[in-house]
Amino acid sequence: MLRRMMLVGLAALVVFGMAAVAQEPVTIEFWHAMSSGHQPNLQKLVDDFTAEYPYITVTLVYQGGYGTLQGKIDAAVVAGNLPAIAQVYENWVTPIAPILYPIGNFMTDAEKADILDGLVASNTYNGVLTTVPFNKSIMVLYYNKSLVTTPPTTWAEFFEMSKALTVDLDGDGKVDRYGTAFRPAANPEQFLIFLEQAGGSILNADWTEVALNNDAGKTAVEFVGSLIPYSYITSEYMSDHIKDAAMFVDTSAGIGYNQKAATNAGFELGAATLPAGPANFNSMIQGTNLAVFNTDNLTQAQKDAAVLLARFLLRAENTVFWAEKSGYQPVTKSAYGTEAWLTYVGSHDFQVPMSEQMLNAFAQILHPNYGDMRNVLSTGFEEIMRGVVPPLEGLENMAAEIEALLE
Amino acid sequence: MGGPNREQSLTTTRTEAYYVARRRAYRVLLYVLMFVGCAIMLLPFFWMVTTSFKTELEAMRMPPQWIPRTWLWQNYPAALARAPFGRYFFNSFFVSILSTAGEVFTTILAAYAFAKMRFFGKNVLFALLLGTMMIPGEMLLIPNYVSLVRLNWFDHYEGLIIPWLASVFGIFLLRQFFRSLPDELWDSARIDGCRRFRYLWKVVVPLSKPAILTVALLKFLGSWNAYQWVLLMTNSQRMRTIPVGLTMFSSDIGTEYQLLMAASVVAILPILILFFFTQKQFIQGVARTGIK
Repeated sequence: MLRRMMLVGLAALVVFGMAAVAQEPVTIEFWHAMSSGHQPNLQKLVDDFTAEYPYITVTLVYQGGYGTLQGKIDAAVVAGNLPAIAQVYENWVTPIAPILYPIGNFMTDAEKADILDGLVASNTYNGVLTTVPFNKSIMVLYYNKSLVTTPPTTWAEFFEMSKALTVDLDGDGKVDRYGTAFRPAANPEQFLIFLEQAGGSILNADWTEVALNNDAGKTAVEFVGSLIPYSYITSEYMSDHIKDAAMFVDTSAGIGYNQKAATNAGFELGAATLPAGPANFNSMIQGTNLAVFNTDNLTQAQKDAAVLLARFLLRAENTVFWAEKSGYQPVTKSAYGTEAWLTYVGSHDFQVPMSEQMLNAFAQILHPNYGDMRNVLSTGFEEIMRGVVPPLEGLENMAAEIEALLE
Repeated sequence: MGGPNREQSLTTTRTEAYYVARRRAYRVLLYVLMFVGCAIMLLPFFWMVTTSFKTELEAMRMPPQWIPRTWLWQNYPAALARAPFGRYFFNSFFVSILSTAGEVFTTILAAYAFAKMRFFGKNVLFALLLGTMMIPGEMLLIPNYVSLVRLNWFDHYEGLIIPWLASVFGIFLLRQFFRSLPDELWDSARIDGCRRFRYLWKVVVPLSKPAILTVALLKFLGSWNAYQWVLLMTNSQRMRTIPVGLTMFSSDIGTEYQLLMAASVVAILPILILFFFTQKQFIQGVARTGIK
């Protein structure tokens, strides 16, 4: 009896002792680039998290736009004062993958399996889920409902409608409204979508060779080339040029601005999944992930707390809350089946195609030089769309420059 | 009788009238050009002020809607509530004033040494100093950041002020001005038993007020508008300044122009007031030192 009591007492001591150790106060910084409109919602999620884990304090640190956040992370890598957790684009952290703390190792199988399929590869380093998706958007087709009654579902329809909707309204010999629009310098992802839909990719499967200029690449570039006469080209937000095109491919996160611009211009804006190419109608996912850093300036308790926060934000109710408030898309499969999300979609019809597109999506490759490759694509795509070089020649130029980056 | 004189007088009157008319025409043309230039310069400012009272839809309208249908004064409290702008204002003032005072002090000393004193390697040192202006600031950003983090100045006022207490441009500007002061002033001061330091503060500085004010004003403006360095060197809200606060209204997908402009109007007010009171000296300094 005495022995049993001693054992129970010992067990209780161990349990309470561990609990006491686990509840040592810990403070972590979360570096982000969410502007003030999003901050109350992010703060609400953090407040919910700290209510559940009262021993953790999360300091949200706004670091300006994405460019300055990236610069700050780069500087902090050198100075050794990284935060526990930060918003990151894939190409920011691929060169520093060894100092990332593999969040996936501390998640359940069910949590990992719940992440949308299109988001797994772009968060997986050497077979381990290392970062997790956070604020994700998808490129969809926006269209002027007063001009387009049924949005195009194939490349052929997209071409025909772009051609038909390019018009000189005042008869002065100049086009006043184009069928479609592109932002090649700011958004080379628009070209990558056509490449994916033609069945192509920048590199081959094991990243040893450039695949950009194979048959699929040529199909893609010839198609975008055929759209040049019917395309409005800009490097600014599409919401600033909403009247200049009848249809355009843009991020789902821009819906708020695009809708307001359309209201200003006196028409209703529609959203649809992308027209399908020869291989698929996949679209490119954009937006950032969450990375936990594994550096000496952070204690184990801070890393553990950061992992808990990342897992918390992935919960269906939280990714749905964030999506509803921010305009980004939920990042887990279970989120799309929640009552909250279905109710939201029911009252926001533009979300139907966006949700469908999220399930048919691809993300950027995790090559360490992807950032430079994106720069090549940006310049090359711009030159093609502005007619500086013929499409096929532009494609070869981009392939040659990316080849050099592989070497 | 009196014919030639009368004729001459008439000719003179005509010539004078011609010159007066020509002068008037020039003046009218000048005023028209100045008005057009002024309007062009003021247009963005006008847009900023009116946009700060617009609805979000009006602010996004293209071509721009110049005058809001209803003047939304509530944009101001709404914008200022988005971030602790009171603290940002204090920090901007504190950092700008200390940086300006510090830079003016070090600049006066260095500029005088380079302008009026003889010492070994003066020209080489000055050339080296000027050479540092050729290094792009972006290149120095990360090394400076690392140094200051190691000095434990990260997220402290020291990190925002001390690195900016000296300016090669300011030294160059004042040196040029100091060189134009006659050496006889120093000779007579020396005869009266005045030493270098006293001469510098009692004679050189008062004589160089416009140039010094120009250096100070340029520094104050630069410090008030500093963005990247402040963002890099701070993490906490209590250390940040106005320009960082202004980024709160923009994201990768768009900008809330009406709120951004409301906050911008408030942010530029101190600068406008400062310029209003110092414009005479500022313009004099710019004119005398040949800075365009």
